[in-house]
Amino acid sequence: MTAEPKVAKSPAMIEARGVEKWYPNGFHALRGVDLTVQRGEVVVIMGPSGSGKSTFIRTFNALEEFQKGSITVDGIALNDDLRKIDAIRREVGMVFQQFNLFPHLSVLDNLTLAPVLVRKRSKGEVLNQAMALLERVGIAEQAHKFPGQLSGGQQQRVAIARSLCMEPRILLFDEPTSSLDPEMVREVLEVMQGLAADGMTMVVVTHEVGFARQVADRVVLMADGQVVEEATPERFFDHPQHERSRQFLSQIL
Amino acid sequence: MPASLRKELFATPLDGVVTVLLITGLAAAGSRLLHWALTQADWAVIQANSTLFAVGRYPIEQQWRLWLLGALLAAAAGLSWGVLRGLALPDRPTTALWPRHDRLAASLLVLLAAWAPAALGLTLTIQSRWWGLTGLLLLVRWLAGRYGSRLGKTAPLVLPMVWPLLYLVGMVLIGGGLGLVAVGANEWGGLLLTLVQASFAILLSAPLGVLLALGRRSSLPLLRWGSVVYIEFIRGAPLITLLFLGQNILGFLLPGGMAPDRIWRAAWILTFFSAAYLAEAVRSGLAAVPRGQLEAARSLGLSLPQALAKVVLPQALRIALPATVGQFISLLQDTTLLSLIGLLDLLGTARSVMANPLFLGKSAEVYLTLAVLFWCCCAALGLGSRALERRLNPPSLGR
Amino acid sequence: MASRLGKSPPWWQNRRLLPWLVQASVGLVLVLVIAFLLGNLVRNLSAAGLLLSWRWLGQPASFDIAETLLPFNASQPYWRGLLAGLVNTLRVVGLGFVGATLVGTLVGSASFSGNGLVKRLARIYVELIRNIPLLLQLVFWYFVVFLALPNGAAAIQLPGIVLAKSGLFLPGFEAGFQWSGPTLVDGVWQAPLRFTPEFGALLTGLVVYTGAFIAEVVRGGIAAVPKGQWEAATSLGLGPLPSLRRIIIPQALRVIVPGLNTQYISLAKNSSLAVACGYTDLYSVAETSLNQTGRAIEVIVILLAAYLAIDLVISLLMNGLNRLVQIKER
Repeated sequence: MTAEPKVAKSPAMIEARGVEKWYPNGFHALRGVDLTVQRGEVVVIMGPSGSGKSTFIRTFNALEEFQKGSITVDGIALNDDLRKIDAIRREVGMVFQQFNLFPHLSVLDNLTLAPVLVRKRSKGEVLNQAMALLERVGIAEQAHKFPGQLSGGQQQRVAIARSLCMEPRILLFDEPTSSLDPEMVREVLEVMQGLAADGMTMVVVTHEVGFARQVADRVVLMADGQVVEEATPERFFDHPQHERSRQFLSQIL
Repeated sequence: MPASLRKELFATPLDGVVTVLLITGLAAAGSRLLHWALTQADWAVIQANSTLFAVGRYPIEQQWRLWLLGALLAAAAGLSWGVLRGLALPDRPTTALWPRHDRLAASLLVLLAAWAPAALGLTLTIQSRWWGLTGLLLLVRWLAGRYGSRLGKTAPLVLPMVWPLLYLVGMVLIGGGLGLVAVGANEWGGLLLTLVQASFAILLSAPLGVLLALGRRSSLPLLRWGSVVYIEFIRGAPLITLLFLGQNILGFLLPGGMAPDRIWRAAWILTFFSAAYLAEAVRSGLAAVPRGQLEAARSLGLSLPQALAKVVLPQALRIALPATVGQFISLLQDTTLLSLIGLLDLLGTARSVMANPLFLGKSAEVYLTLAVLFWCCCAALGLGSRALERRLNPPSLGR
Repeated sequence: MASRLGKSPPWWQNRRLLPWLVQASVGLVLVLVIAFLLGNLVRNLSAAGLLLSWRWLGQPASFDIAETLLPFNASQPYWRGLLAGLVNTLRVVGLGFVGATLVGTLVGSASFSGNGLVKRLARIYVELIRNIPLLLQLVFWYFVVFLALPNGAAAIQLPGIVLAKSGLFLPGFEAGFQWSGPTLVDGVWQAPLRFTPEFGALLTGLVVYTGAFIAEVVRGGIAAVPKGQWEAATSLGLGPLPSLRRIIIPQALRVIVPGLNTQYISLAKNSSLAVACGYTDLYSVAETSLNQTGRAIEVIVILLAAYLAIDLVISLLMNGLNRLVQIKER
């Protein structure tokens, strides 16, 4: 069940083949997952809780290890080589469900910390870029505040800007709006929509059906550590092929 | 009687009885104590031995070095006070230069400087030196408060550098070297020895404690079990036993004849002892930092040392601050155990003073003075810690 | 895992290898340091003729122990002396637990009293005690209070109880079931139950000191109970004492018991300061033994083992208690 690649010519951004993961207590979290993400694609992964979708995307930037299979990100193979892992982490940004902003640093310092330390850039030039990014996500006036003073929606937008400040090629989103009050979900989804329109490669784990319909190039359903179905949004939501997909959709729609 | 007072003290008949009993009891005890302190007590024992209590048998002709150190300490204390007060908080513009608490503290210091040296019967020259030290402290405090904001971002780094540096300078001034006459450790005594031991142990046990805490939480079995064994072994043993071990066994553990001085053996034992307790305090701080913080830092590309240093530890140490300072206060109090292994710290000096037939039986005066001295130091440290904690964890940080 | 870029990483960049290498190097350093220290130890000990041996324990101690439940004099072996010291330690620690818990509970609950004066006094007591070193408090109790008590006929005499410089005298059963009280014989007080001033000072100091810390634990435990519980209890018509007993305290105990564990262990360890009061506890006997035999290693091993054992027993008991008071959650 392969989907049509968006851009057939360039090499894939993420190439995952037969990924399997066991937790130390023996639980088989990922049972042979395949996924290919092309440059500029927006892939939405959905599924019931415990399906392994968060675990799966966390293998892309080595936050989770896997025992079998292969993952290649932007042409770099994920293995035990720490240099490769560092290289991959520089190119892959992640936005977390709990935002994970650094509470002891100001918003601006949150953004500039990594580029200065990791890409060894000068604080001055990073500051300009950071301010531009804060403008882009719509919270430039909060630049000198601390995360504790911001609302959930604002914090998540800062988190997105923080990831963007490292100029990643791919952005991973792990249930970015699940911790937000309903009225703040929209402002975050709008930012994400803007990023997709600008051509960012994105893999998003979410329950937001509206976002998937409008922005995703492909929707992937995972359950019990496996990919159940992969299709374009129209086909997935309107004509699901698998019983498991129908079951899942009936619960969320 | 104002209504609020009545509600507090006499709400029910039982309350009223309890209040009356307590007040009469306290008044009786208080007046007895005051009467004794002003009439029967013989404070000469303190006055005659004030130098001994302060610096032990430090050679008189070298004591100018201690005065120099005192001046440096006063300056450093004033600097810390001013810088901390002047630190602009993100949600509050710079506060007034001399807020109410600071004015209170400053006036207390001035009063103390005016009364204490005179009460101790010190000569006028020495009294004026104490006035000078106090004046220096307040002057630097004023300067730091006024101009400290110019330091900007580097301000929080200044303090952690000033004190260790001061310690090194202090050790040279006290012990000798670099052209200064050497004064052996067995000539240090009294408050000097207590402070040297406490500061040595505090400065060295801090990094050791952090390392142990990190090791305790490490996923590498050897590091984790090693830390656990060390921490639990130390915490299970009474300090006096470990000091005893240090005095008697350390000599055997090193190639014949290389055993360090008794004073340094005790200082190292205090360090190792304190590090284990510090490790526990820092560990709970580390545990309170959500896992997502480390994950976010790593996913941004920071290496583990970078993530620990810039993201995890700053948060963990802020959380662990009260427990850490509490451990430092305990350490200061634990130095009194040195008197049990024959060292002449403050308590040891006191006991040797009372062995003098001239001052036999004056234990009440001496012990009370020591108690007041310790209480003031520890309470001041506790207050400072609470103030520091409030500064570092303002509500705006969302905690 | 297929590696598209070929070369396997150098060992210091290999994620799987690195932890083992770090541990191996740390382990190596530890082994070397320990070997060095032990080597010196053996060499120095044999040079001094003090290689590890336990036979000295059976030799007659050359010191007396004045106050002991276990009869002991200079002709008896060292191990018996150490045992007597241990019994003394346990005696003061056991009574200390009772006393400190009573004091701590009283003062801790006093922080919630309706009477403003009582609340403040409780606060002052805790803040006062916490900031003065324990050793200083102990010598204060011994030299300034207990040894300053009057003696002989001038001693403080209450019905059945006599408090004098030579100790606290209480009535009890003499040999054969005869109940008798304290009597003055040739200017010296005698009684079936006698506590020396050394014991009294140590016990008082430990109780007052640890009591302050236990008060904080109790206060924290009660404060941790949500205010709504008080309100619910009052609205159900329960008076202050019943609501305390049935609603608040059981919940407060969840937080208090672990804290008590720490304080009890602390009290047990602090009892080793008995030497400052002249009370012959385990540490004091051990110190004397070492001074006489020079057997530093053996004595210290015995000391550490004994205190560690005491700590373990306390922790075990408190853990059992902890399991009892933990509320079963879903």
